[in-house]
Amino acid sequence: MLLFDIVFNGNDSMYAEAEKAVNDAVAQYGEDMAVGFPDTAYGPACYYAETGIKITTLREAKEALVYIKGEMQRERRLDSVFKSGIATALSAELIELMKYIDGKQPYEAPYLGHMTDAQIRELGVPLVTYDIPAVAIIINAAPSVEEACALVKSYQAQGSFVCLVGGIIEQLKEANYNTGFNVRVFPMGENISSVAHAVSAACRTAMIFGNITPGDKAALQEYNFNRFRAFVNAFAPLDEKTVACGAGAIYYGFPVITNDMDFTPSIPKSLIKQPKVEEFNATSVEARNIKIKISNVDIPVAFGSAFEGEIIRRKNMQVEFDGSRVDCAELVHTCEPSEVEDHKITVIGPEVDEMEFGSKNSIAYVVKVAGKNMQPDFEPVIERKFHNYINCVEGVYHTGQRDMQRIRISIDAFNAGFKIRHIGEVLYTQVKNEFDAVVDKCEVVIYTDPAECTRIRHEVAIPIFDKRDDRLESLTDESVDVYYSCILCQAFSPSHVCVVTPERLGLCGAVSWLDAKATNELDPAGPCQVITKERPIDENLGAYEDVDEAVQKYSQGALEHVTLYSIMQDPMTSCGCFECICGIEPFSNGVVIANREYAGMTPLGMTFSEMASMTGGGVQTPGFMGHGKHFIASKKFMKAEGGIERIVWMPKELKDFIADKLNKTAKELYGIENFTDMIGDETVAEDPETLVAYLSEVGHPALGLEPMM
Amino acid sequence: MSEFKLATVEEFEAATTRLLETGAKVGADAWQFRVKNQTPHCKFGESGVCCRICSMGPCRITPKAPRGICGCDAHGIVGRNFLRFTAGGAATHSDHGREICNTLHESSADGNYHVKDEAKLLRLAKEFEVETEGRDIYDVAHETAEKALMEYGKPFGTQIFTKRAPEHTQEIWDREEIRPRAIDREVSCAMHMTHMGCSSKAEALVRQALRNGLSDGWGGSMMGTEFSDVLFGTPKEVETEANLGVMVEENVNIIVHGHDPSLSEMICEYADSKEMIDYAKSMGAGGITVSGVCCTSNEVAMRRGIPMAGNFLSQENVILTGACELIVVDVQCIFPALGPLSKCFHTKFVTTSPIAQMPDSEFIRFNAKTAGENAKMIVKMAIENFKNRNKDLVYIPKMKQKAFVGYSVEQIEKKLDGVTNTHVDVTGTMLPLVDCVKSGVLRGAVAMVGCNNPKVRPDSGHIELMKKLIANDVILVVSGCSAQAAAKAGLMDKRAKEYCGAGLKRVCELVDIPPVLHMGSCVDISRMMVLAARIAKDSGWNISQIPLVGCAPEWMSEKAVSIGNYVVASGIDTFLGVEPYAYGSSEVDGLLKGGIRDWVEACYTVEKDMDKLGDLMIERIEEKRTALGI
Repeated sequence: MLLFDIVFNGNDSMYAEAEKAVNDAVAQYGEDMAVGFPDTAYGPACYYAETGIKITTLREAKEALVYIKGEMQRERRLDSVFKSGIATALSAELIELMKYIDGKQPYEAPYLGHMTDAQIRELGVPLVTYDIPAVAIIINAAPSVEEACALVKSYQAQGSFVCLVGGIIEQLKEANYNTGFNVRVFPMGENISSVAHAVSAACRTAMIFGNITPGDKAALQEYNFNRFRAFVNAFAPLDEKTVACGAGAIYYGFPVITNDMDFTPSIPKSLIKQPKVEEFNATSVEARNIKIKISNVDIPVAFGSAFEGEIIRRKNMQVEFDGSRVDCAELVHTCEPSEVEDHKITVIGPEVDEMEFGSKNSIAYVVKVAGKNMQPDFEPVIERKFHNYINCVEGVYHTGQRDMQRIRISIDAFNAGFKIRHIGEVLYTQVKNEFDAVVDKCEVVIYTDPAECTRIRHEVAIPIFDKRDDRLESLTDESVDVYYSCILCQAFSPSHVCVVTPERLGLCGAVSWLDAKATNELDPAGPCQVITKERPIDENLGAYEDVDEAVQKYSQGALEHVTLYSIMQDPMTSCGCFECICGIEPFSNGVVIANREYAGMTPLGMTFSEMASMTGGGVQTPGFMGHGKHFIASKKFMKAEGGIERIVWMPKELKDFIADKLNKTAKELYGIENFTDMIGDETVAEDPETLVAYLSEVGHPALGLEPMM
Repeated sequence: MSEFKLATVEEFEAATTRLLETGAKVGADAWQFRVKNQTPHCKFGESGVCCRICSMGPCRITPKAPRGICGCDAHGIVGRNFLRFTAGGAATHSDHGREICNTLHESSADGNYHVKDEAKLLRLAKEFEVETEGRDIYDVAHETAEKALMEYGKPFGTQIFTKRAPEHTQEIWDREEIRPRAIDREVSCAMHMTHMGCSSKAEALVRQALRNGLSDGWGGSMMGTEFSDVLFGTPKEVETEANLGVMVEENVNIIVHGHDPSLSEMICEYADSKEMIDYAKSMGAGGITVSGVCCTSNEVAMRRGIPMAGNFLSQENVILTGACELIVVDVQCIFPALGPLSKCFHTKFVTTSPIAQMPDSEFIRFNAKTAGENAKMIVKMAIENFKNRNKDLVYIPKMKQKAFVGYSVEQIEKKLDGVTNTHVDVTGTMLPLVDCVKSGVLRGAVAMVGCNNPKVRPDSGHIELMKKLIANDVILVVSGCSAQAAAKAGLMDKRAKEYCGAGLKRVCELVDIPPVLHMGSCVDISRMMVLAARIAKDSGWNISQIPLVGCAPEWMSEKAVSIGNYVVASGIDTFLGVEPYAYGSSEVDGLLKGGIRDWVEACYTVEKDMDKLGDLMIERIEEKRTALGI
């Protein structure tokens, strides 16, 4: 059969299923029944992105069927095939939507179905930094369980995000393969219609980061084609519905790689036949023009950002190191070139195999670096990456920093031969990889001898940390001569520009002023550029002619004015990957902040996802602003509107996280003690009336301030 | 999307009207007026039934006088005329090819002409069985050139390049006895066959017309293409511009016109030298702009990115701008009208070839040995003429479009390699293109070529057909004046993908090409033959099975008929927008439009309604797809 006919038939089948699912639902619940996916502000996002219409009821779902039918054209032209492919995806989305009707939870672990907005936002930064180089959508069972595991592992090892549909999920389950959002392996569903969740993720990425107007089909296609680095691996035997979905994928620019050698013809860079499953990864990555950052770290286990979110539980643990109980430290130390022997790794103290199974041990590693362009200011920048580097080791888990880090090595990693010195190897390789512009030589000394660890911690590390803290304290927006732009996100959010100042880190939370400075040093033509602050317009607002010029230039004219300290007047834009979103709460003259992890309701009557959807994509929305968690405690946080005393509500988890710093700032600015306690949270109120009552009770200062609008 | 927009024929015409107003001020003649004087055209001539081959006549066939004095009927007369028309074209292309071979023979390390593409020369040397091991490249060049020149007159055997064709095609040529022998011999044979008292059998005359055409396409033209590449470099993708707006008012404007790159390459070389630019500045000009008209323009655009001022029917326009200091020509398609027209302005009209000598021109005989000096002298002449410009007459229409050109077979192969996957595909093939066609992403291809002809609203045939075809996912390879029409319209701008169907648009994006590929000048239709042969070999299809057709919507010259004959004889159905002088014989007409399909698996279709012509091509492409089961 001709490819076009396969697609048309597959489209017909998927549509028929969608029609039945919707009609059955209407018969059962009536047309007024509300429908939607959980934790998203975009409704069924594929349909919303394509048409600009948010389906909220079964009646609207029925209307959607009419639209979809209209797209199912049957000309002998690729245009019809593309339209039919999208019509198939939209039909699939309706099928999935019906599964969630009436608050049902259709998927059980390991199946995950729908991806939340928060998850998509979390992927933003790693996608733009290429830490997630690709999104692989794998459909159907591999020829063998081993091949299924090996393929998924190969993507994880390079940091790619994997979505699974169909038989491969059971194969991984059979092999006890660890899956989940945190390890970047996302099993969607057993039926091909669940692929709609992957398409939905792509469409939401376009709307969240790309500011694609829902309904602007051409812009959506162009965004996905040029920016969303996804591809499909579809195992034989293919059926018509899968091929029809593939047509939709290809329309968006996502190539399909299959080992079904007979069912369809090949299309260059689009539909590629690869009989060897072990070459699926390399074939796919090349087809989508993805350059994989090769980190050939010489260790006996896999290394890749996909393992960053892996959690090692106690029962799977060989040994652990815990800075909260025993003396630990991690430190970058700038030395003279003569003091550093490149690639020397020394372990002073016992190796893992000399440690008792399940024991808690000390560890301190000092990474000695030397280089002509190295500055002590870069030490914490490099050091902060250790968490990420060590976490990327498969079977090794790292949290915390400085002298409070905690590391666990799993039994599997130990059995594979992972040793303490391999931590040194990882640190050496990654520091040299990522900081080659400033680090010429690098040596790692790892102490596991408890006495040595105590010495390093108290005599070497803590004095250095104290010195750094003093330096950081002194770093204020006023004390520095320049700020930095950050356009790291422009790969995804083409017109967004962050202005990073000492007291206002990038909204993603990942780029501080020192990071930006180091990035600028490492790559002078790169994403972080110097912004002078010589021509202030209004220092209270944080308005500068220099800043305006910079944002105009780096947003290609999309932005004209940006203030640093106001959320009402020309607020800084957001790309979409912000850690927190704040929005004004009119009844209390204050603002509500929600963090990405918070899935509940806020007193604004909106969830994080809904608040987040108010801004992003590089547009200015006065009254809403995305920002990093650490910015909340800054003296510059919405300084123009009065500062942190405007904060009236935050999720409890966020409050706890930021309390110490926030209290300190409140004390310094207003002389208020324990200010955080005055701020409401979900245990106090999820609606404005209760919130205002609470605020009055505790005497929150915001109530006495001028209204913001 | 950017503000990119295709230019329209209406815009071209408005510009021409404005230029004709300039012409009126100086009493200039123009083809638009001469067409009026010549219409209606002689029906005997047009139908091909007028015989002037001996002095007993002229005879012309009517219902009352069905035979000439010798007894030859309409079929014999039309057949002879058709064959002679072909022979004229084949001789012209082939002689152009011969000149190039001669130039190569003159090349030397310290001479005017050098071997620019050594790898290609070595490949050709192998084809001509010339020893290359351990030899000086110029020794190889000279021997290969000599062997190539022998192809023109060799007493025995057939054309070497015909071995490039797929086996099946070669079998057809042998079976039908149309595999061409020596190039000159096929022209001589045609002249002989058409002499009084020789062939009067339509079938025999048409058969020789095919063989004579093949001696051009797989002989003389191919020589021209291949050895031009050796001398001046194999074209690679290069960005340029097209239409009169490429002429720069403050600069000395030199127009190169004709066909042979030997002249134009030299002119470009010197015009680009610091010495000449400084000289131009000393004469009050901003610099020197060389732009081209007709196929010589295609040659230098493909290899140097020299802008294209216009095509065949724009040749008078370049002078009418009043800003043309000098127009230098070599051979073919040059209006004798340029002489008198140049006299109405300050423009110098310089002829250079003994082949094309014209009144009212300055003749500077150009040859390989003195090419450098000749070119320098011509450039200087233009510069010194700048001061004579009458500023009041200067009007350059501001229109121009961006174009990517230079898609030789080698470049196409490289582009296609770019969409292969190293883990599954081999490189160096046409398979990516074949796969696009097989899957239906592309419906097929059209090779659009040929001239302008006042019988068709100039450029409208080319442009409207191209627009229709690309909207239907049919990719175009083009050459000659068709290519320039496309470039002027903006169809060679990569942004023209927005005018394509979804399939061709995706191909343009992935392969990074415009939807209409410029393959060169009219001799470069030989490139299309090589391309078709490569596709056939890689797909396993016969050439005639490929969803590919040829088209010459606005053809006018004898060369075009020769081309049409070799394209058809290679198995490619060819669609014409202008009727050949053959409809006066049902036999000849019937053979051309149907009968020869039994011989060579392809034939002609003529349709003057361009929209219908487009439909017919798409229909034929779809028929071929159905036959292949794709």
